[in-house]
Amino acid sequence: MAIKKQLYTWELYGDGTQGTNPAIYPAAGVPFSILYGAFGNVQAGGQTGLIKEDHFVVIDKIASKPGISPTDFTTATSGGVTSLIHWPPNMFVNIVIDTTGYYQDPQNVFANGVSGTASPYPRQDQLMPYYDLWPPIYVLPDQTLDIRYTLFNDIIASSTPANWNVIPVTTMLASVYVEYTHYDGTDAMMARKLMTLGIPITPSTVDNFRRLLLENKGLDTETFSFYLKAVEAERIRENKEKRIQGLDRHHEYGNE
Amino acid sequence: MSLRRQVYEWRNLVQNVGDSVFLNGYPISSVGSCITAAMSANRPVDIFIGGIGNNLDMPGRLKAYQYVVIDAVALWPQTLSAQLYVNTTKYFQDPDGVPSRTGGIPANVVPFPNGQNGVINYDYQDGLKPSLYILPGQNWGVEVTSSVNVVASAVATETQIQKCFIKYLLIDGADSLVAQHLVRSGWALTVENIWKFKRDIIKHHLYAGMAELPEEVTKGKRKV
Repeated sequence: MAIKKQLYTWELYGDGTQGTNPAIYPAAGVPFSILYGAFGNVQAGGQTGLIKEDHFVVIDKIASKPGISPTDFTTATSGGVTSLIHWPPNMFVNIVIDTTGYYQDPQNVFANGVSGTASPYPRQDQLMPYYDLWPPIYVLPDQTLDIRYTLFNDIIASSTPANWNVIPVTTMLASVYVEYTHYDGTDAMMARKLMTLGIPITPSTVDNFRRLLLENKGLDTETFSFYLKAVEAERIRENKEKRIQGLDRHHEYGNE
Repeated sequence: MSLRRQVYEWRNLVQNVGDSVFLNGYPISSVGSCITAAMSANRPVDIFIGGIGNNLDMPGRLKAYQYVVIDAVALWPQTLSAQLYVNTTKYFQDPDGVPSRTGGIPANVVPFPNGQNGVINYDYQDGLKPSLYILPGQNWGVEVTSSVNVVASAVATETQIQKCFIKYLLIDGADSLVAQHLVRSGWALTVENIWKFKRDIIKHHLYAGMAELPEEVTKGKRKV
């Protein structure tokens, strides 16, 4: 289980009230983390995504809930109570590694990222994604990974009795989907090696590299004889150096 | 992070009634306040610095160590068309060589989002082929043209919002040197080609390190 295809979803649902509580609903125009932010189903503990020293992460896909205009919200009325059942969040997602944002605008300034309209989640028949995260993003050991969303449709300002009375706990207001490949242990080491060789890091290339290593277990004759010669030469040089320096001792292992 | 797939989205949304532009970001909307700016018919609007909708402080201009490969452009509603430009040259032209009089590629060919109103992007699924390269120091941008007058609205719906989306590969840093070599050699600027070229560089360096030294070096008098 050293190479694992992983996913992480962040979703924000209603809380069964009208939707005016700023502790439940994120403010518009402000970026929040899907890993340790104050809203939605953030992972327990709310830790940042620190990649451990024996791990390697390749981010393959990122998507979020589509919809731009808040005017397109839909409600359902039952028993005199109007419930919000669809909300276009107008959201963008950016990937931050350490202190660097992945997405920047054409003037080379930190941008909000890719929108849910360009890369939707959940996917629908009618709305196919335009955006594909290619090349994938490598997150190296000891780097910190963060994924931040920004909503540009203000839920709290829209939550008036004229619009709806309740945001049910089943209504998904915003969502983010991240798909990544997680390498750990020896596979992470092989991933690092592949990266230094300029080879793309995929499960196939890592598997292939592992096969090569297994095939070449032990050194072939020519390389091994060279290795022996080199080691012998180093031993002679070291002994000579010690004799010159007056440090040669007969009780050291390997001495003549 | 030298090879990055970037996006930029333009909409004619603004923050307040009467505004025409919103700089460096996107305005905040709410139910009852989704405000769009007006657009004149047949008048191209630069999505970076055109003065309508979300804009930037400055036009798209590449630094000395940057390359851009434009992959895709998409827009909506169906009355919009998009024209790419590099410095003073427009990409889409009419058969007589004049820049497209209708404003470039129409939204019916490249709808955004793909599948809007049942319109599917079949012809440009893989973006522009061949891709459009923007070289270091060049100015670039996208102009959108509406074939009808777009009136400002305070409560715009999804289909009333004018939208344009571009996707491009940003090559910067050391990778831009690789890109320069590829362009000079006539190879396409793709992620795969850049990776392969870098692999070749590494391989050649390894070979160079394994090569036997010339005799005058191995048998020469030691200097130290």
